[in-house]
Amino acid sequence: MTQTKLDRILLLCLRLGAFFCFAGWTWVHFYWQGPYGILLWQDTTYAWVERFGISWEEFVGTGANDGLIQKWIHRIAWLYLACSILSLTVRHKSHLQMAALIGGSVLLMGLAYAKYLAIQSQFPMFIEHGGQMLIPIILVMALVFGVRHRVTVRTAMAALIMTFAGHGLYALGYHWPTPAIFYGMTAVILQVEHDTVRIFLHVVGTLDFVVCIGILIPLWRRPCMLYAAVWGFLTALARPVAGMSMSLNYWGADHYIHEVILRAPHFMIPLYLFFLWRKPQENEGLQLAAK
Amino acid sequence: MKLQSFLTFCCAALVFVGAADAQQNKKKKRKPRAVLAIPKVEKKDIICFALYTVDVTTLKLTAQLYPIPKGESKEVRLEIEQDGKWVEAAKVSVIEQGWTAPFRVENWDDSKSQKYRVAHGTEAFYEGMIRKNPIDKDEIIVAGYTGNSIQPAHGGDISRQDLIDNVKRVDADVLFFSGDQVYDHHKHYAAWLKFGRDFGEIIKDRPTICLPDDHDAGQPNLWGESGKVSTLPGAADGGYIQPGSYIQEVERAQTSHLPDPVDPHKIGQGIGVYFTNLNWGNVDFAILEDRKFKTGPAGRVPKQGPRPDHIRNPEYDPASVDVEGAVLLGERQLKFIDNWSQDWRHANMKVALSATIFCGGAHIHGNANGRLHADMDSNGWPQTGRNHALEGLRKGFAFHFAGDQHLATIFHHGIDEHRDAIWSFCLPSIANLYLRWWDPLEPGLNREPGAPDYTGDLFDGFNNKVTNYAAANPEKKPAGNVLNTRAAGFGIVRLNTKTREITMECWPRNVDVTDPSAKQYTGWPRTISQFDNYSPPSWGKLGELTFDVENPVVQLIDAESKEILYTVRARGKTFVPGAPKGKAFIVKVGENTPDTVVSEEAKVGGEAQTVTLN
Repeated sequence: MTQTKLDRILLLCLRLGAFFCFAGWTWVHFYWQGPYGILLWQDTTYAWVERFGISWEEFVGTGANDGLIQKWIHRIAWLYLACSILSLTVRHKSHLQMAALIGGSVLLMGLAYAKYLAIQSQFPMFIEHGGQMLIPIILVMALVFGVRHRVTVRTAMAALIMTFAGHGLYALGYHWPTPAIFYGMTAVILQVEHDTVRIFLHVVGTLDFVVCIGILIPLWRRPCMLYAAVWGFLTALARPVAGMSMSLNYWGADHYIHEVILRAPHFMIPLYLFFLWRKPQENEGLQLAAK
Repeated sequence: MKLQSFLTFCCAALVFVGAADAQQNKKKKRKPRAVLAIPKVEKKDIICFALYTVDVTTLKLTAQLYPIPKGESKEVRLEIEQDGKWVEAAKVSVIEQGWTAPFRVENWDDSKSQKYRVAHGTEAFYEGMIRKNPIDKDEIIVAGYTGNSIQPAHGGDISRQDLIDNVKRVDADVLFFSGDQVYDHHKHYAAWLKFGRDFGEIIKDRPTICLPDDHDAGQPNLWGESGKVSTLPGAADGGYIQPGSYIQEVERAQTSHLPDPVDPHKIGQGIGVYFTNLNWGNVDFAILEDRKFKTGPAGRVPKQGPRPDHIRNPEYDPASVDVEGAVLLGERQLKFIDNWSQDWRHANMKVALSATIFCGGAHIHGNANGRLHADMDSNGWPQTGRNHALEGLRKGFAFHFAGDQHLATIFHHGIDEHRDAIWSFCLPSIANLYLRWWDPLEPGLNREPGAPDYTGDLFDGFNNKVTNYAAANPEKKPAGNVLNTRAAGFGIVRLNTKTREITMECWPRNVDVTDPSAKQYTGWPRTISQFDNYSPPSWGKLGELTFDVENPVVQLIDAESKEILYTVRARGKTFVPGAPKGKAFIVKVGENTPDTVVSEEAKVGGEAQTVTLN
């Protein structure tokens, strides 16, 4: 495999990661609702909006009709849809598209912040969204500076560390309680008792931190990234595996499939780094084989 | 330039997040979050509080302890004062997961009040009073509470002393906590100890009924689905988010002092059941679990809004969500209600207690104008299950007392026609975390003169027939953070077992209920008759029955289908049974059980009859 081909694969990892992340959130905003209520539906936000002469009922609705909040939360879906498409179409010199993708990243930051507030300001909730928040920026960096550029790679490493550190903190239950859904999904999928689940989460939580450290040690990087890609995919897949059922409408797909899709950065960023850090001799061997 | 653009965007993002964070932090400085910790206590204070009930001849008391240090005895004793001396009545080892000590004493004499104390070692003692069964009282007073938020943001951190004082002033016979005693989703034990520190002073001296609701179980909403594991954020897929062992600990703390469950088979994850009845002061209380068996809506009903449990589309077809197989109380509880409604031994009146009411009792949800057409967290859904529950309860003329809605209401429920089933009183929250309003878009029909537009005959969002008589709506725009602007408070129900009248009182916080100038929420107090709980407007009257004994039990059975229409204890020596027109009924009468047939073909408009039982 030539360096150019490999670079294309690296870029494809980032493109697909960003595309699926935005596409998943588009579904959430279209079909369900974005989690911004806690940011918008409060007195302090209204005090700011009121300066523009907007009445309370215009802002939150009359009761019989939607207000600005409901309308705009729904309209944000279009921005996510646009970002999904731009993730696939953006090219090296598409400055506007790149700017829009960075805007998409800001949207994701706002979303992660809202989720963080909604769960009583639990730090792991915000940082576990690192991969999702940063993947559009990493994609833009890869286009502007190159997929192997130091800034691109380090940002990807930071994104991965954020995601895995967030998950690890939650899995270990250190300072912030382990989300009960972690227990539920594990118990349902593995069909094991609570005590076993607790041990399992401690082990995988520790491994999350091994990944965060391993990424900084050249010798450990590749196996860590392989594990991270597989584990990131499995944890994303856990939602539908645990929740979907033949007895539900559409097998419950409308509730669960987007949960895998929007978590694409959790396994696409490690995959990008795994391919990036292929040993040169492997590349050469592949090139010879191709000839 | 490109790098500059990128940096500009990054700065913008930081400014956005920073500004939003500053807003939040500014708020946090004003109103810090409640800190839940398990305080370290002296050895002598290791017993936090104790809850009890007495049913016929069984005393069940659960002592709640702080963690016992390693190396110390785990044995806890229950002692009763007899002739000035403490006599050990029971001894148990404390259950370390949750530090509860559940006692059981058989052959209890409920005809006299007795002092008790829970003892640990030689230093720790906690005293209280097991009251005598107040069968000689005409009026049984039940003080009810729901939604015990402790967060400062909406006044939850203020003292509960006003609630304590008012219970003492009215000398309530029974305390009822309908749910959400605990709002912390991870630290039930710590929060339960705080609950005990806040309310132990009144709980220790009178029978107390606690029903753990969704927040007690550590989740925002609860459709228990017989103990399934929930894996969907929000839990609308049904089941429990927290592990079974956590739920077992919660139920052990809050319900192990209740009378034994009538059907004790466990559900999924080893979770127990506690639905049962408590007979106290000639009132028979059915203690129901309206969450435990209920089906989760996600994936079962067509999506009608931004959440699987919320219906935002007013044009939807209500019948489309009443899906086959969706459960509310479940067969086991319906069977229990059926038996309970027929059993009038030691009872003049019946009251059903559950977490929430059997209708969608609010239109606007949240801290602003969030209108929902219907909310599947309410017992208005599934409609078929709701109707089955009401059909069972009205057979015993049961009055319904519940909470959870964060909005006090009075409803008269209907199944086939308006006002053909029981009445319910939904309690206001102790501190109102989440505001709701009852605010129908169209005025109700058949309103009482001068009554607000939101009262009268209406349909809830599931097309259930309801008649509203009162709603303690909070103020609107934007909601204030003072307790009374958020319609916080508590309820008192006075059950007069002699006149058979039920009086509902709904009080705001920080009032003295004995002060003549103290005002209740608009629409309260309201007094109804026990017999209003099953008196459909379309019914007529059978001929008057005159008895040779006081207060016999009367049962009507459909002569054709042989189905029991109702069973009730008559008041005094005469009774005029209500019944549907155009049908014939078998009438059975007895002193405590209706075992004497007095008519095979009784019809509306029939002749009066004298019944001799002795």
